[in-house]
Amino acid sequence: MRTRVTKARVPKARLAVLAATAATVALAAGCGSGAPAATATTSAARPARPPLAASFAGRAGAGWTIVQMGGSATQEDNFWQMFYRQASTWRLATPAGVADNGGLVVTGTPAGPLLTGFLPSQDLTFSPLATSTNSGATWSAASPVDPGLADVPDALAAGPGGRLIALTSGGAELSQRLGASWTHLITAKALAATPAARACQVTGLTGAAFSPAGVPMLAATCARPGVAGLFAETNGTWHATGPRLPAAFSKENIDVLRLAATGSGMVALLRAGTGTLLAGWMASNGAAWTLSPPLRTGGRRVTSTAVGPGWSMGIILNAADGLTLSGPAGSWRRLPALPRWSATLALGSSGQVDALAAHGATFTDWRLGAAGWTSGQTIHITIPYGSSS
Amino acid sequence: MPGMNSGLNSNNATLVAAFRSALLHQGLWVLLIFAMLAVAWVAVREWLRPPRPRPAAPEPAWRQLLRIGFGVIWIFDGLLQAQPDMPGGMPSQVIEPTASSSPGWVQDIVNWAGTSWSYHPVQAAAATVWIQIGIGAWLIAAPRGPWSRLAGLASVAWGLVVWVFGEAFGGIFAPGLTWLFGAPGAVVFYCAAGLLIALPERHWQARLGRTVLGVLGVFFIGMAVLQAWPGRGFWQGTLHGKPGTLTGMVSDMASTPQPALLAGWARDFGSFTAAHGFVVNLFTVIALAVLGAGLINAGRGPAWLIRATVAATVVLCLADWVLIEDFGFFGGVGTDLNSMVPLALLVVAGYLALRPGPAPVPQPAAAQPAAAQPATAGVAAAEPVTAEPAAQAPPPGRPAWRPSRVLRTFGAAGSRAVLATWAVVIILLGAAPMALAQVNRDASPIIAQAIDGDSAPLNFTAPAFTLTDQNGATVSLASLRGKVVLLTFLDPVCTSDCPVIGTEFKEADQVLGARAGGVEMVAIVANPLYRSTVYTRAFDREDQLASLPNWRYLTGSLPQLEQAWKNYDVSSQILPAGGMVLHQDVAYVIDANGKTRTELSFDPGPSTSSTESSFAVELASAAEHVMKTS
Repeated sequence: MRTRVTKARVPKARLAVLAATAATVALAAGCGSGAPAATATTSAARPARPPLAASFAGRAGAGWTIVQMGGSATQEDNFWQMFYRQASTWRLATPAGVADNGGLVVTGTPAGPLLTGFLPSQDLTFSPLATSTNSGATWSAASPVDPGLADVPDALAAGPGGRLIALTSGGAELSQRLGASWTHLITAKALAATPAARACQVTGLTGAAFSPAGVPMLAATCARPGVAGLFAETNGTWHATGPRLPAAFSKENIDVLRLAATGSGMVALLRAGTGTLLAGWMASNGAAWTLSPPLRTGGRRVTSTAVGPGWSMGIILNAADGLTLSGPAGSWRRLPALPRWSATLALGSSGQVDALAAHGATFTDWRLGAAGWTSGQTIHITIPYGSSS
Repeated sequence: MPGMNSGLNSNNATLVAAFRSALLHQGLWVLLIFAMLAVAWVAVREWLRPPRPRPAAPEPAWRQLLRIGFGVIWIFDGLLQAQPDMPGGMPSQVIEPTASSSPGWVQDIVNWAGTSWSYHPVQAAAATVWIQIGIGAWLIAAPRGPWSRLAGLASVAWGLVVWVFGEAFGGIFAPGLTWLFGAPGAVVFYCAAGLLIALPERHWQARLGRTVLGVLGVFFIGMAVLQAWPGRGFWQGTLHGKPGTLTGMVSDMASTPQPALLAGWARDFGSFTAAHGFVVNLFTVIALAVLGAGLINAGRGPAWLIRATVAATVVLCLADWVLIEDFGFFGGVGTDLNSMVPLALLVVAGYLALRPGPAPVPQPAAAQPAAAQPATAGVAAAEPVTAEPAAQAPPPGRPAWRPSRVLRTFGAAGSRAVLATWAVVIILLGAAPMALAQVNRDASPIIAQAIDGDSAPLNFTAPAFTLTDQNGATVSLASLRGKVVLLTFLDPVCTSDCPVIGTEFKEADQVLGARAGGVEMVAIVANPLYRSTVYTRAFDREDQLASLPNWRYLTGSLPQLEQAWKNYDVSSQILPAGGMVLHQDVAYVIDANGKTRTELSFDPGPSTSSTESSFAVELASAAEHVMKTS
């Protein structure tokens, strides 16, 4: 009797245990196979921030470029360098005394000194500033920006009379005299609350500039599609000054990748969604913006930007394809295949285009001629490998 | 995983030497206590001549196998924990990789343990050695009774600690779980064995064997399903030109430092798996399923089939242990034999338990009170003693723990009971320093010493300086006379070491507590270019030093700074092309009379929470020492 009872019960119990085990194992197998991270979609929705690799050239072709050199960024062996061009000759002009693994940003006016800011990296949370009155030959320390500068190429802007704007993680700071002291200009949140910015729904600041007339300007990312977030401050009031975009972009989020003052006015590089670039120009008299023809990038990333004399612009996509735009009347021009390791373009007077290649400790200036790219100046620098780790 | 890794090389000479020294000292204590116990036991036996213990009833073979088998395994694991790489390597090379593919909440739990280990690496490693050796010895020494069952429970308790914190729950929440590589964690089998050992004698019946084999059978079938599950990479020897899951695992094992012959076997099997991945997995799935079914039906089939199933299971386990788990313990930080040996032991024990066990020896009624005594009562129960005369039983209302009675019970205990007591002492001896260390929230100073070496004693008048502090006030060394000065040199725009050193000074202030009132923490700017007070103040804000009342960050003109650097043997070199200013990481301890007493190398090393805490303790200890001796 006892045996029979046992025989009758055991299979049921075993079946239950087996079923439970199978369910557990199935669950474990499901866990093990893994699922794509949900955050990937979120981060892909908005493209990366504007690249720090950039160049700027004034009317006479004099100017600077910022490129990343050295080795691995994860091992703190990447070092950002500033090169300054004068009379067609480049020289290393990186300010000394601060590890620049986080990046460099530069600003200057044709008549005033150059100012370089070091972006935060590792445990450094504020941004030391250095100023030079001899085109980067020597530098001296200026008051730091605290908290540190935002990691966008136009985080620093110089204006007439030594006025400065610094974009930080918290907002924009203003200095009346070469960073001697900083006062609070506005935060992204406060800007978003202004009547002028309501149509934009500001979510963050991406660039700063002074107009040729000395008016502070800020570039912002807008949550509302189809709106270019450009704002100017006059007499303590902020105004929307962005261009009106064609209806084709009404459903695209607009990012301002560059905002810079040139001798003739303002220039801005806009990105619509992930696939289109637009350049905009505004004359110094404050007239309406002129927009370039759209450039379809096919989802390729902008890896460097260049602003040149006469409102010319240049970009590199995916570190491989170079394009230039001669100005409001021009259209995008695709350059021949760039030399290897091209980090940024440098535009000169009379339409001259250089590709600046940076690899390891070597910086090479490639000039575009009728026969294609020809190697010009090469500079070997001493990279302080291991000094930041 | 933040905080877990001390960042030290696992073979750091200072750490290894300290570990050996700790093991040696604790080992001597273990031997001394053994000698004392032995002498006391012999003396008591000779002096009081207590009644000899009755011969113990025989223990069932299955239990004997589990007890001795897992006892030996625990001792072996304990000896593996004594490898020199363990103090520094356990968190970074064992715990962290094991948990790295587990979900965040598992990593959080494991990180707590890893961080605790990295704060006190020597104490933690030594404790693990002695606890595991102690549990092993306890299991072996105590054959029956409550003392023996308690050993089983101790095995379960420590096994769970190891399973959760050391094996990240055996990786059951991580992808790639497979029986072939030890799922669900070797220590789970230790716990199962411990539970069986802890079972009361009334459960020692043939049904126990059927239950054990049945549960193992279900486990095998579950593992077969998991192994057969598509999309986990086990059906392919290679996948898109890369090794499949099993091939990759075997290749990793083959690259572990080990004898060439064994590595060759693993490599050959890896090549075979790469070429015939589908066949290998098919064989594994079928073998697990068939053996699982056989084990579930072990209680009902013919004897030859049961024997064949058990033998095949053991052979499969051993083949896996050699070819896939690669013996499990090579490489300098191997912690155990992995899962197959314990699993095979459990299977064989389950088989042995199918047979009826020996009949329990009836206990004389008078012996019961003796076996029920606390503490030493357990010792007596390990080898039941002959009943004492009824006249010697404590009268009602008298305490049962009279010294003479305790001594008599101790003397009456068998040699195995004395050994079991000694094993418990080993566990306590190992665990006590770790428990004491855990009470202290600060890390051991051994980590700082392992990074930068010992401090150098000095005795000369500290060179004077007069500089400006972060608030613009003039500060001279003379003005700080009467207090101990901790002096260092920091670059306010440094991205790595200097902010860490600043944090270590702040933590040293917290370690000093009320005694910090007698200490001035002073830094002198070490950057010739960025040296204005706006930079020293920015550094203070960055490092949250501004609120520290005894913190002074001094600067001055370049000639003033250069003089201070020269006087304290500090150089400041500007590097080109975006490099940080190069300067020495050093700290001086200046006593209340203005004498430099100690120089500490202060390169913060990997800057983890444990190293920062360790440097802070070292700094605070140096200040306290100078305060006491000046």
